Amino acid sequence: MRAKWARDVDWLLLGVTAALVLYGVVMLVSATRGTPEGAAFLRARLLHLVIGLVALIAAASIDYRRLAAWTPMLYAATLLLLASVLILGEARLGAQRWLLLGPLGGFQPSELAKLAIIVTLARHLDSFKTLPRLRSLVPFGTHVALPMLLILRQPDMGTALVLLGILAAMLYVAGARPRDLAAVAAAAAGALPLFWNFLHDYQRRRLAAFWDPTADPLGAGYALIQAKIAVGSGQLFGKGLFAGTQNLLRFIPEQHTDFIFTVVGEELGLFGATVLLILYLVWVWRALAIAAGARDRHGALIATGIATMVAFHVVVNVGMTIGLMPVTGIPLPLLSYGGSSLLTTLAGTGMLLGIWHRRTGL
Amino acid sequence: MIAPTWTVRIVHLVIAVVVLFVVLEGRLWSLQAIQGPHYLRLSEQNRLRDYVVRAPRGVIYDRRGQPLVTNRAAFTISVLPMEVRDRPRLADTLAPLLGLDRAEILSRLDAGRRQRPFEPVALRRDASKTVVMTVEEHRLDLPGVIVQAEPVRDHLQGGFAAHAIGYLGEITEDDLRLRPGYRQGDLIGKVGVERIYDKILRGADGRLQVEVDATGRPGRVLGREVARSGQSLVLNIDAGLQAIAEEGLRGRTGAVVALDPRNGEILVLASTPAFNPNVFSGGISPENWKRLTGDRGLPLLNRATEAAYEPGSVFKIVTGTAALGEGIAHRGSLFNCTGAYRLGGWVFRDLAAYGTVNFIRGTQVSCNVMFWTLGRALGEGPIERWAKLLGLGRPTGADVAAEAAGLIPSAAWKVRTVKEPWYPGDTLNMAIGQGWVLVTPLQVARMVGVIATGGTMVRPRLARRVLASDGTEVMSWAPEIVERVPLPEHVVRTMQEGLRAVVDGGTGRAAAVPGLAIAGKTGSSENPRGIPHAWFAGYAPADNPALVVVVFVEHGWRGGVRAAPIARAIFAAASQSLLSQSGGGRP
Repeated sequence: MRAKWARDVDWLLLGVTAALVLYGVVMLVSATRGTPEGAAFLRARLLHLVIGLVALIAAASIDYRRLAAWTPMLYAATLLLLASVLILGEARLGAQRWLLLGPLGGFQPSELAKLAIIVTLARHLDSFKTLPRLRSLVPFGTHVALPMLLILRQPDMGTALVLLGILAAMLYVAGARPRDLAAVAAAAAGALPLFWNFLHDYQRRRLAAFWDPTADPLGAGYALIQAKIAVGSGQLFGKGLFAGTQNLLRFIPEQHTDFIFTVVGEELGLFGATVLLILYLVWVWRALAIAAGARDRHGALIATGIATMVAFHVVVNVGMTIGLMPVTGIPLPLLSYGGSSLLTTLAGTGMLLGIWHRRTGL
Repeated sequence: MIAPTWTVRIVHLVIAVVVLFVVLEGRLWSLQAIQGPHYLRLSEQNRLRDYVVRAPRGVIYDRRGQPLVTNRAAFTISVLPMEVRDRPRLADTLAPLLGLDRAEILSRLDAGRRQRPFEPVALRRDASKTVVMTVEEHRLDLPGVIVQAEPVRDHLQGGFAAHAIGYLGEITEDDLRLRPGYRQGDLIGKVGVERIYDKILRGADGRLQVEVDATGRPGRVLGREVARSGQSLVLNIDAGLQAIAEEGLRGRTGAVVALDPRNGEILVLASTPAFNPNVFSGGISPENWKRLTGDRGLPLLNRATEAAYEPGSVFKIVTGTAALGEGIAHRGSLFNCTGAYRLGGWVFRDLAAYGTVNFIRGTQVSCNVMFWTLGRALGEGPIERWAKLLGLGRPTGADVAAEAAGLIPSAAWKVRTVKEPWYPGDTLNMAIGQGWVLVTPLQVARMVGVIATGGTMVRPRLARRVLASDGTEVMSWAPEIVERVPLPEHVVRTMQEGLRAVVDGGTGRAAAVPGLAIAGKTGSSENPRGIPHAWFAGYAPADNPALVVVVFVEHGWRGGVRAAPIARAIFAAASQSLLSQSGGGRP
């Protein structure tokens, strides 16, 4: 007979997570093969995994209900950290998103901020039993808007959009009236042209390139065109692992981070891409199942936030790679190279495991 | 236990996520399963580059196997238009380095990008060592710039036989349309045998299929098609005689043609002033091109074939042959060379009075009165007919890239073109090769050849044999007799005797070579542009002709003074072989 704790672990979620991590390591090796830094990338990835595993276990062990008391502190710390990036952070690729942490390399606070916002927002929402009218959404909008503005300042539009998605999903599960959410969405859509003025030049070019990549094939449209060529040329079963020419010959910028999906599509084809999407779907389904089975509304909201976060990342990242969405630099969870993202997703997985573990009252 | 309200909404979320994933999967299906082959092709285009490997051109030899034109290893700086991200910056960098105009680089890049984006655009052929090394050093800062080994033409003796050999240049749009099998950027012969025999000389370019990375840097070689070097061409040109002809013309404007009247082999084809074809080898610079085309001496003009001149007394060969052939005169006909000829109220004056002469003597001293008399008796129609019979007034069909037709006038032609009737004075002028008559030195050479051989009209030919790159013969040209001109035996004999007398104590004695029997005719043709042109047209050995030499010196004054000595030098140099092959000539 298995131990009780073992029965309380969601092995499917854990297994899918492990499978995705492994998938990611293989793809990382392929994407960085032949570069002088290839081995360094792999070493760093394994180090990140160790840290991530520790974070996963820690997050699983902490009772989310005990976090409730820390909510204001956590929220304030998040804002402080995001503000500090703007002042102290290091700029890479035209955006200031990183804090340098010595041997661990750069750290992206906006990644971990997503988790902190989910946790604090869940507690915040849980303190209101109902959301009876449009006006009752305002406090939560504000809750997310403050860190979001700081993130937009970096600028990191992708992460900001993820936060909006998480907010919408959590409000919905918390009981907001669909018509109120629809009204907010309509208002946001109406404000989009206004938003255009606040965009950076490179963001505008990316949007323009999304509508017509061929208008500037060697500039903003370059990554999009090359990514589509890579994925499309993989056909049904791919060119074979480590045999992607678009990958090996570096036609795609950022192929080991935001564009890692191109390597999957090119080398493993529709088959490999479909397996990957199924793994993600199972992951998100397990996360939402945990939300549904949580012992209380608080736990359900946290799980919903984490599930939405990962689902949003996957849809937007894969969508941009295959030309369904404009290019926004957000990583593919568990696959893209990047310690902060991996740490965040694994910590989120740990929290899900913790919520599942505590689904029946202890 | 009733499920809490949020579970229903979580189920909605699951459905939403599933829908989004289905959309992604659908898009992947369309990209990879349906459009997969298309994108695979694009990815291949991305990574594969076809480079043309230039085949070395065939060597050009003289008739004895002395190389005249070979190839020299050289490097070409080219740009792959699709690999260039920042064209203005690249043009800024390359312009001073390659000594090219910035706008020129940009326009060539744009043209290449539009027409064949994956083919290299050659910017500088035969780049200097310093330039090649500088480009190689800055490889990483010059994405899309490649250095290709591409042999260039090396004319071993510079301007030697420049007009016969010709030079290369990048193919023009017109040639590209008219001549199948060529590609943009190909080098093609522009004039001379380089043009006529371009297909033989050029060989077949090879290809190199190379994998490149995103910055266009070449990596693995995936396939190669070896270039087949061109076949070599042996010319009929005799480098020794050609050198003597060019030496004789040095400092003068003119042309020399020497051919074998029995088979049409062209042994000398010289034209001065000449040019050095090596300036074309790396692509001619604008300054050099301007200098060549702006030169008043027209160095690019092949005066032996491309330009037609008044033949003057050399044309008396035609008039004399016509008069003999029409039965108007014979060897013993007597003419009273008083020094003047009366036509109506006009008096045509000769250079001198020679007293009473027979046909031979009249030819020897080039008595105008005799030829006026003959011309008047013949009329312009028969002169025209005989001139054309002897091959004048139309291109010879020689293997030269450009040939003038010359002009043999007729009464109808004059009415049509000059809008004036034909006057008897025109006939007198025509009889001595003045007036409207225009001939090329090559035409004169063939005409003299017909008299020398008693009626053999050949197609003059520069090319002799084609050799494969290992030296074995691929083909050779058989002598081509265009026609047998029906000349009665006595006409030929009398005309030849007259021409023999010209060199033997007549106006052409400056061409005489002791021990070699030479026949010929001098000419000093008045022309509207200045002092007379000097001509000498002759052949040797007189009794068994094997070599025709025509010398033309523009504004050279007297043919017997300026042209005949050049011919003598050629005959003298050739005399050994002429005497041995003919078994000894008359002293």
